[in-house]
Amino acid sequence: MSSAALSRWSGNEMQRRVSKRYAAERRFKLLGLLAVGLSVAFLAFLLVTMLARGLGGLSATFLSGSDSTDPALAGVWGALKGSFLTILVTIALAFPIGVLSAVYLEEFARRNRWTDLIEVSINNLAAVPSIIFGLLGLAVFLNVLHLPRSAPLVGGLTLALMTMPVIVIAGRNAIKSVPPSIRDAALGVGASKMQVVFHHVLPLALPGILTGTIIGMARALGETAPLLMIGMRAFIAAPPQGITDPATVLPVQIFLWSDEVSRGFVEKTSAAIIVLLVFMLLMNGIAIYLRNRFERRW
Amino acid sequence: MTQEKQPITTNSAVPFPSTAVAAEAARDDAGIAKEDTAWTDRPEPAAGLAPITVAAPTPEPQDTAEGAPGRAPKMRADSISVFYGEKQALKDVSIQIHEDRVTAFIGPSGCGKSTFLRCFNRMNDTISGARVTGRIELDGEDINSAQMDVVHLRARVGMVFQKPNPFPKSIFENVAYGPRIHGLADKKADLEGIVEKSLKRAGLWDEVKDRLAESGTALSGGQQQRLCIARAIAVDPEVILMDEPASALDPIATAKIEELIHELRGRYAIAIVTHNMQQAARVSQRTAFFHLGELIEYGRTSDIFTNPREERTQDYITGRYG
Repeated sequence: MSSAALSRWSGNEMQRRVSKRYAAERRFKLLGLLAVGLSVAFLAFLLVTMLARGLGGLSATFLSGSDSTDPALAGVWGALKGSFLTILVTIALAFPIGVLSAVYLEEFARRNRWTDLIEVSINNLAAVPSIIFGLLGLAVFLNVLHLPRSAPLVGGLTLALMTMPVIVIAGRNAIKSVPPSIRDAALGVGASKMQVVFHHVLPLALPGILTGTIIGMARALGETAPLLMIGMRAFIAAPPQGITDPATVLPVQIFLWSDEVSRGFVEKTSAAIIVLLVFMLLMNGIAIYLRNRFERRW
Repeated sequence: MTQEKQPITTNSAVPFPSTAVAAEAARDDAGIAKEDTAWTDRPEPAAGLAPITVAAPTPEPQDTAEGAPGRAPKMRADSISVFYGEKQALKDVSIQIHEDRVTAFIGPSGCGKSTFLRCFNRMNDTISGARVTGRIELDGEDINSAQMDVVHLRARVGMVFQKPNPFPKSIFENVAYGPRIHGLADKKADLEGIVEKSLKRAGLWDEVKDRLAESGTALSGGQQQRLCIARAIAVDPEVILMDEPASALDPIATAKIEELIHELRGRYAIAIVTHNMQQAARVSQRTAFFHLGELIEYGRTSDIFTNPREERTQDYITGRYG
């Protein structure tokens, strides 16, 4: 009996079976490694070419100057400040409105045909091409509301429209994943609905909400198309002083410089890309730090 | 500690701790005055079991299964039915919960006992599609009326859940949360006093007094559940509902919870849902047996377990199904 069992587990047939399994595992690992290698290789290629071409262009004048027709004088400061102001407007609008929408839809709204419709609309909105948002901004903010053309205010508004659905979707998922037992516990000691949401659900959902916000903001920061539509592609030689001054943003600046015929701008383009990547990295770093700080286990 | 260790070694017919508790409770229920002579009447005098210190029971002369006449029950449920959508989970159940007694709801899974418990503090409001009909009174007041604020109701009728669910906050914050939102303490010292008193009543103070700032979720399961009980009693409720409070705990932690329930009796009206029939026998004075959404039998725990009127009750408590 036991010898039969022994031969069953140590026989040639079983040995072959086991080695086949291990071979499959090795092949899968190799495939995964290849996939990772490919994406890393592209990233490395981008970084290396950018650094090789652009590092020489990074100088004090480049970082402190604004756009100029002379490549030797052209700088990125104006665009950087424009980007910063635009993203500030976007965060200030999209984050609170997005989170409030998510909380309302998830915690307070009755589930009926209207909320279903809203849910579908929001999901669709997140997938709408950004150029459409640009046209919307042009039509509403410039032609109807007569807000200043080329201003970070309008750019931020437009990008906020685009980012909000992303935040709403991420926020709803994060709120959904808060265990119902926590809600029960708070309700059980007599907390009101508002108190349950603001004392317990939101703090626990915050890491997830911030993750969605990071993704949305990173997308907004790199966005070019909608900003072209609202006039942020103009040649602006002075950095904006406020959110209503004409300005441009980093990705648009990169787009504009890459179109220039003068050879001096090739280096400037690469240098601006480096600045944009660093800016993005910095923003994501802050967001990830915030997320980790708020992360709690239950 | 000795109280929970001793009984395990005894060979009484009731297979698990606090035999004395159940026996004492039964006597108490039968209206026998708490005298030393009463101990000689006990059916199973478990040797070596000292009578556990018990909150002085209020005398209940002329006690009937429906409650002492002339004494209004703390909560009264009158022909309660609960529907989840089309499905009727509870059929026309009427019951009373008394101030100084523990009422146990027993029955097989899905019999509606937890659903029924959740009617008493309107937790079923939070379940979409749930509909409750009938009348529940707290001190004669309809809890579903417009005058009754659900937030106040839940402060007066506390709840302990099946799975320990401390907030992912510090131990102190867990207990202080209720008093804080209800404005029960103005000064920090008052709040600290409430937290200490609640943790002491929940039998947790000695274990956590040096680490009140640590997270409540870092405690063991049994400690977490006692923390939840401390959280519930911190707002000084009149009734405590317990939904299988010990089902996720090991026997030692369970014994501690049972002991605690026994100590809390007399201060709060307690209703407890349990799967464990021995537990019902040990901690309760009233037992309600539910089956398929119906209340089959309700009466003194001693009667239900020794002399049930219904065959289904008999079958369930002898383990023929459930």
